[in-house]
Amino acid sequence: MAALIRGLRAGKALRGLASVAVQAKLSSQCNRVRRGIHRAAVLRLADDFKSNSVSPPSYHEVHTAGESSSSSTQGDFSNTAAGKEYGQPNTSYQDQSGEHDEDYETEEQLQARILTASLEFVPLHGWSVEAIAAGAETLSLSAASTGMFNNGAGDLVLHFIAECNSQLAATLAEQQNQIQLGQAEPKKTAEFLRDAVDLRLRMLIPYIDTWPQAMSILLLPHNIPDSLKHLSTMVDDIWYYAGDRSTDMNWYTRRAALTGIYNTTELVMVQDSSPDFEETWAFLDNRIKDVVNMANTAKQVQATGEAVVQGLMGAAITLKNLTGMNQRR
Amino acid sequence: MQRVTRSAVRHARNCVYVNGVNGSVLSRRYSVLPPARDEEEKTMLDRMLRVDHAGEYGANRIYAGQMAILGRTQTGPLIQHMWDQEKKHLEKFNTILGEQRVRPTLLLPLWNISGFLLGACSALLGKEGAMACTVAVEESISEHYNSQIRALMEVDPERYTELLQIIKEFRDDEMEHHDTGLEHDAESVPGYFFLKTFIHTGCKAAIYISQRV
Repeated sequence: MAALIRGLRAGKALRGLASVAVQAKLSSQCNRVRRGIHRAAVLRLADDFKSNSVSPPSYHEVHTAGESSSSSTQGDFSNTAAGKEYGQPNTSYQDQSGEHDEDYETEEQLQARILTASLEFVPLHGWSVEAIAAGAETLSLSAASTGMFNNGAGDLVLHFIAECNSQLAATLAEQQNQIQLGQAEPKKTAEFLRDAVDLRLRMLIPYIDTWPQAMSILLLPHNIPDSLKHLSTMVDDIWYYAGDRSTDMNWYTRRAALTGIYNTTELVMVQDSSPDFEETWAFLDNRIKDVVNMANTAKQVQATGEAVVQGLMGAAITLKNLTGMNQRR
Repeated sequence: MQRVTRSAVRHARNCVYVNGVNGSVLSRRYSVLPPARDEEEKTMLDRMLRVDHAGEYGANRIYAGQMAILGRTQTGPLIQHMWDQEKKHLEKFNTILGEQRVRPTLLLPLWNISGFLLGACSALLGKEGAMACTVAVEESISEHYNSQIRALMEVDPERYTELLQIIKEFRDDEMEHHDTGLEHDAESVPGYFFLKTFIHTGCKAAIYISQRV
């Protein structure tokens, strides 16, 4: 598809060149120049198609039609590319192997690899298709592989978030193992939550300059379900490893509280300019303290309520005794 | 592309489950369910466990409502005995939900209030009313457990042996409550048929909603 567009662009370029040449004096020299330019353009396009031909075969299948329908000046070049393609016995979309690695790799794994490689270009290009293209090129794939990603920058951001969350879950699991093996002390809930959120937010530090862009991408309507799912999975993981096994409304209130803490701290972090984000961690500490206070207050209110009810019942029974209503006649 | 992120998330969580179970085999008893193989299985099990938990919670509240009215009469000890068994069921499901990281239903406060009200109102109709309510509710729950047992057997009886055992045991307990209710003149309450139909419909609606919300 992208190759078709390139072919069209090249065609336009050729026509442009031709028109420029026409505007110049129509001398035999000019004609020679024109033919030379034409040939150079053809060769450049041919090079492009050649470089495309070393990219994964699945991509070939998508644009073979495009190739063959693009300008016929490419003649033998497109034929060899197509011939190479049809010569391969296995052209199933699922079952592909990149020309550069030996192992069998699924499309999803390939996409994951490309996106991981693209992350290092995010500080330069932002969360965009250009970063993905640059990442693809470091893996010796054509920049046109960005066509694989229907969601473009959204795919990159979601992939990054998923990676961060997996890393967080793995670290928390490791810590839990350590505690169960007796090699570490179990932390109090507040401290555990603070450390977990701290750990997860520190993963954003390399990309903190472009993170507002990522956040706005996540707020796009078609990305909201996925970003919410990742957020809820992360919060559930943190609470699970903090030891929460509640099966009543506490399950919901705790996760809601942690979601609030995480989102607000993330926002503070994005506009924090203090050294090593001290203000952010101070903000986080304060929010955790608030939640702990609220939980304690709720417990106190409940205990007080129960005590009051008991007191009222006692008063009612005393009254009944005093008025003689409790006696059996 | 979303499949990549979702499957990456699931894979990480599954690995983590395995670590968790293996790590804790030394320190506590064997887990009821094996780690889920894929998202579909996890969703199916989640729904089953969520609705079972909601059901036991509701049954608890119904008996609490009945005890509040009839607690000091002759039928008090009988209702208390049935309530204690339901408490054990609820405890078991609480443990399983915590282990399997299943989200409890959001409507728990609703089942709390409506269960208590149902128990109390049926008890206001007297002992027979309470027994009729018990019969209707236990019949609904037994039917529900039976359909779950069938579903699990269809998928893979060996994989879910422990869970099947637990559900079968609970279903037998509920059938026992149902028979106890019948023994204690449940059918002699006026409007038994309407009461039973009303409660059956309510239970079916509750089961349907709790699976999803």
